[in-house]
Amino acid sequence: MGALVAFLIAFPLLVGAVLLVVTRPSVRNPIVLVASAVIAVAAIATVVTFGNGDAIFFGLPGGVVPGYLLLAAEIAMTAFIVVVGLQHGRVLAPAMALAQLTIALFLEITGRMPEVDPQRLFWFDRLSMVMVLIIGLIGTLICVNAVGYMRDYHRASPMTKGRRNVFFSLLFVFLAGMFGLVVSNDLPMMLVFWEITTLCSFLLIGYTRTEETIGYAFKALNMNLLGGLGFGLAIALLANQPNGLDLAKLTAGPVSGTLLAAVALLAFAGITKSAQMPFSSWLIGAMYAPSPTSALLHSSTMVKAGVFLLLRLSPAMSGSTVGYLVTFVGLVTFLMVSLVAVTEQNTKKVLAYSTIGSLGLIVGCAGIGTPELAWVGVMIIIFHALAKGLMFLVVGTIENRLYTKDMENFDTLISRLPRVSVLALAGIAGMFIAPFGIVVAKWAAIKAFLLVPGGQGAAMIVIMAFGSSLTLFYWGKLLIKVLSMRSVSDYERSIESRISRYEWLTEGALAAGVIAVTASIGLISDKVVGPYALSAFASGPRTLPVIDPAMLVVMLAAVLFLPLVAVWASRRRYDEADFYTSGRSANSGHVMGAALGSSRSVSLRNYYLDGVINGALMFRVGTLACGGILAAMVVTGMVVR
Amino acid sequence: MSPVVYAILFLVVAPIFGGFLAGVDRIVSARMQGRVGPPLLQPFYDVGKLLQKQARQVNPVVEPLLLGHVGFMAVTGALLLSGTDLIFIAFVFALAALLLVLAAGSVNSPYSFAGAERELVVLLASEPFFILMMASVCKVTGASTYAGVLASPQLVAVQLPGVLLAFLLVATIKLRKSPFDISISHHPHQELVSGLTTDMSGRLLAYVEVAHWYESALLCAFMVLLFNWSIPLGLLCFAIAYALEVLVDNSTSRAKWQLVLRSTWAATLLFSGGNVLALFLLGR
Repeated sequence: MGALVAFLIAFPLLVGAVLLVVTRPSVRNPIVLVASAVIAVAAIATVVTFGNGDAIFFGLPGGVVPGYLLLAAEIAMTAFIVVVGLQHGRVLAPAMALAQLTIALFLEITGRMPEVDPQRLFWFDRLSMVMVLIIGLIGTLICVNAVGYMRDYHRASPMTKGRRNVFFSLLFVFLAGMFGLVVSNDLPMMLVFWEITTLCSFLLIGYTRTEETIGYAFKALNMNLLGGLGFGLAIALLANQPNGLDLAKLTAGPVSGTLLAAVALLAFAGITKSAQMPFSSWLIGAMYAPSPTSALLHSSTMVKAGVFLLLRLSPAMSGSTVGYLVTFVGLVTFLMVSLVAVTEQNTKKVLAYSTIGSLGLIVGCAGIGTPELAWVGVMIIIFHALAKGLMFLVVGTIENRLYTKDMENFDTLISRLPRVSVLALAGIAGMFIAPFGIVVAKWAAIKAFLLVPGGQGAAMIVIMAFGSSLTLFYWGKLLIKVLSMRSVSDYERSIESRISRYEWLTEGALAAGVIAVTASIGLISDKVVGPYALSAFASGPRTLPVIDPAMLVVMLAAVLFLPLVAVWASRRRYDEADFYTSGRSANSGHVMGAALGSSRSVSLRNYYLDGVINGALMFRVGTLACGGILAAMVVTGMVVR
Repeated sequence: MSPVVYAILFLVVAPIFGGFLAGVDRIVSARMQGRVGPPLLQPFYDVGKLLQKQARQVNPVVEPLLLGHVGFMAVTGALLLSGTDLIFIAFVFALAALLLVLAAGSVNSPYSFAGAERELVVLLASEPFFILMMASVCKVTGASTYAGVLASPQLVAVQLPGVLLAFLLVATIKLRKSPFDISISHHPHQELVSGLTTDMSGRLLAYVEVAHWYESALLCAFMVLLFNWSIPLGLLCFAIAYALEVLVDNSTSRAKWQLVLRSTWAATLLFSGGNVLALFLLGR
């Protein structure tokens, strides 16, 4: 097991290093494909070796302790941040990186760092298993997709073409960081992987090196370094505690005192990384990066690291004020970003807000700390990783064909890109169509919140009711656009045939994954997520959500319905049967006859609730509110304990 | 009786119930306007005639989407009566309603599109209520299925007066009554022509009608949840509520979508939300 895990971390790093020096696509592409396949197989092998039992702890082969290697990595990363930061005239990021390094060095030099148990470096349980599969399968699919995507991307924007080697290298380093993060039990080791993901996302967001993307890259860096600083402080607090820096021991059950303070700081780090308000803006900025970056950041890596840590901390937060406050950061974020999303016209941004909202639900679940809600949290992680990964890749493919991200320009997609539409519909169905994945999770979350006593419980239910309805609205708008039809020219019909096979392969695989996972939700619940949730919590109610057969059938029907309608419709001739226009002449180009023989063009624009919901204001209100709750959370952890 | 029997019973009886309700509605409305009105069975005659007429297919997605609309609406009721979790029902109900929006939205006509957008707005307006209603019914009774709620010794409506009040308001939307009938119109001379259904004809329009019958029956079943002591009591209360809706329908004019959204959300938040808060604070 130790060897496999070491391979999962070291191999992608090695591939990353190789790709950095390979500049020719004809050499790079095979490397990416083979490496992705190897990583996927290794991830599966790890899971098979683990065999779905209870949690196990282990070290590196031969009992090696990475000690100084970690410190060296930290120094190297800090040096990099300082140099790049100063190059661009930024002070904040270097200052935070240095502060974090100072804490680490201080602990090391003064000998406060506790001895590491070489046999407890890694912690592998069913949650790690789920994460390893998500990173190893969805993450690598995104890498393969990028091969096709980047070719078209640079055809449209050739400026940064020469740096594609950096892009692919970073993708693999990112995977290595994520693998390390989800199997770490030693907190200082986890922090190093944590910072690797921070650094990779910084570089990926700033990839195109325009003024705009550099600004967003630093925003992401600053916010995540702040979280990293919280992580570092938590390590400092835990260093002299009897259980030391052992994550599994820390999170065995509810904690108090110094331990709770450390948990609050770690939760703070998790909230920054999962882009909860007030730290949501970095993930929105990340939308300006190439689509595989968005897909990677949103589905299988980065933000999932944040919610992964929060789920790990969940048993420790259980029942504490800190836990309740974490829940409210998540739920208020869910509600506020959903309000913003209904006013947003840029499809990628709508997807981004939807990601933040879904993560908010997971954060909300993690804060309460019951097996039932942990179940919900892991289920959302699985479904969201699949469906959102698919959605971002599909929107990337569409963007490369139609040169637009505007939701309004996605109209008549089913006529123009029929096969892409089928994939898009599978993705949307996966994200939200009533009885599937995330909605099952919403359902289970509401049921669990019903058991939370007092006013908090009522607030949670009300937030869920309104937030869920808002998601219906913005996905509904996108669906209307995708499902509308018109007659298309032969040229327009030919556009779809130019999509690369890498994109077809990966997006098709993800769509199939969405359907397969829906069909096997009962099995996943019984064999993996359920046992995880029950074993993570030593106490508390032993109930788990039950999905009965009728629900399963309806879910499958619902997720298959729209893609099937799209398949059916695309095989039928569309003959411009003219629609009702109140006696005016009209054609499908929407030019309608008007008074005095003139003609006017008509555009059918979705409602963005102008005048009722002010998106920018909602974002500010949410940021302020969550900032307040978060501050209260940290203070409660540190002072009230 | 087994759950399957209840499910089949709903599939068969609900459209008959809904059709009769529509017939009574038309007679009562006519009397309020000083007319005699059509025969009681007129809605059935209408649907029968629609099914025989030729349907103009504006595009090939409308028909499957509408069939999905009828199907999921019927399934929602069947699931409800056969013991599926109530909160889950609220989500399936929303999906069923969404498919009608998609059918109308897929047509490129300005009138259909406007109807679809407005319907999406009223879905947004009404959905929080249904989730809150189901959640609070579960909270009060401790049950999570239809039969469980009916077996509960608590009379739900007594503890959920706010939810009942909001129900009356939201039912106006679901029954497509003025002032909340913004997405569809039974009077073709109005600004929306016929909204959602502008480009639906023949059997397509019949699907919409039948789906609406199912929807009316579902609302009635929801009302029974609130008056869970006896089914006749629930039916009686539904009849009273429906009569009120018809009265309001005939004495108000259509509101703008902004007002519909604001007022429904405000009512849901104040009445239902307040009611839920009280329940939690009183520790039930």
